[in-house]
Amino acid sequence: MPLRAARWLRLAHVGRAVRAWPWLLLLAVLVGARLSRGAGIADAFALLSRPFWPGPAQSEWLRSAQQLGDQVRIQQLQNDNARLRSLLQLRRSSSSAITAAVIGRDTAGWWQQLLLGSGSLQGVRPGQAVLAPGGLVGRVVSVTPTTATVRLLTDPASRVGVLVPARQRHGLLAGVGTSRPVLRFLDKDPGVRPGDVVVTSPASTLVAPNLPVGVIQSVQERADPAPEAAVQLIAPLEAVDWVQVLTP
Amino acid sequence: MARLLLQPWCLATALMVPLLTLGTPPLLRLAGVSPCWSVLWLLPWALADGPLSGALAGLGLGLLVDGLHPGWVSQLPALVGLGWWWGRLGRRGPPIRRSFNLGLQALLGTGLLGLSLMGQWALISWRGMAAAGGRPGTAVAGLDLGVEPALLALPGWHGADLLAAGLHNLLAQTLLTALLAPILCSLQLLLWRQLLAGSRG
Repeated sequence: MPLRAARWLRLAHVGRAVRAWPWLLLLAVLVGARLSRGAGIADAFALLSRPFWPGPAQSEWLRSAQQLGDQVRIQQLQNDNARLRSLLQLRRSSSSAITAAVIGRDTAGWWQQLLLGSGSLQGVRPGQAVLAPGGLVGRVVSVTPTTATVRLLTDPASRVGVLVPARQRHGLLAGVGTSRPVLRFLDKDPGVRPGDVVVTSPASTLVAPNLPVGVIQSVQERADPAPEAAVQLIAPLEAVDWVQVLTP
Repeated sequence: MARLLLQPWCLATALMVPLLTLGTPPLLRLAGVSPCWSVLWLLPWALADGPLSGALAGLGLGLLVDGLHPGWVSQLPALVGLGWWWGRLGRRGPPIRRSFNLGLQALLGTGLLGLSLMGQWALISWRGMAAAGGRPGTAVAGLDLGVEPALLALPGWHGADLLAAGLHNLLAQTLLTALLAPILCSLQLLLWRQLLAGSRG
């Protein structure tokens, strides 16, 4: 008799557990959702609500509004910049440009220079900055009525004040006779990294400010007398056929 | 001697040197460096016409090619010296005018020209260093607040640059000019000798 009663009790427990398994499963799911901070639920919501998401037209409106806002901001900054530069008597960043063909090229050897097919008759003057697609390539050093000689940034006699905007470090970009000029910093610890962009210095009195120049390739912290960085020019000097001479 | 110098159209061929310097085709470049056209023109001229004509042609050519490049570094002294030297060598007769010897003389001449340029840049750099207050390193050793800007703004080639890029230029130009000299200088020498023989006859 006692044996029969014990068997009946055991079977009753098992039967209850079998009947409760969906609830146990639900409990496990809920605990899982709690521990994973809503994973699965949020994904399921995203999947179900996808047809009701904002369409491309709405994102386009937002983007155009953003662009308009940016343009207004840039215009204001340019106005501020021009006003402050005129107060400091620095060169203006806004200038017109003369397009000139490259008719002679010497990008290796003892001198690194370009010969342009535009000269003083077209308004080119010594000292003007020369831009190629990508950024600054050099400055005009001499002109004839129909030609102009440009000393490239890679020429050993070239010196241009530059800035690394990401770290706000100033330096002097010096040509060393190779395709990569060297950026010599004014700070002992410039903290720049390969990949940082180099632009012309806002404090420069020789060239217009903030013109893109190149990208830092490698940094030599222990160079003497100043830390140095090799700079890859953005403009491809070997392939430039047309340039722009910036006139004030 | 110096009879070629008296013929204006012969002298006018020197105008080819600046034109070729400005417009050297990429096929004739070695590692981007063009041959030394001044040497390739001056060598046969001086061998055929003597030291005085060579030196004067070197002077004119130096003025011409220096005008093409910015800065104060000049090829003129080396070209005058080479013109004089090659003019004296030309008196030794046919052996010095053989193709191999022409290549060797062009090699030496281009090398000396390159070394003279390197020497001038080194001098400019040294004078700039002196003006800035001393050698780099010593002048800034005591400064903790930054680097002396005057040192960075020195013109010309620094010592390390001379050894790297300068040596590259020197070797490339010397080799290329020496390779072209047996062909180009032989043809010019032939032309000048025929002209001189014609003027004698």
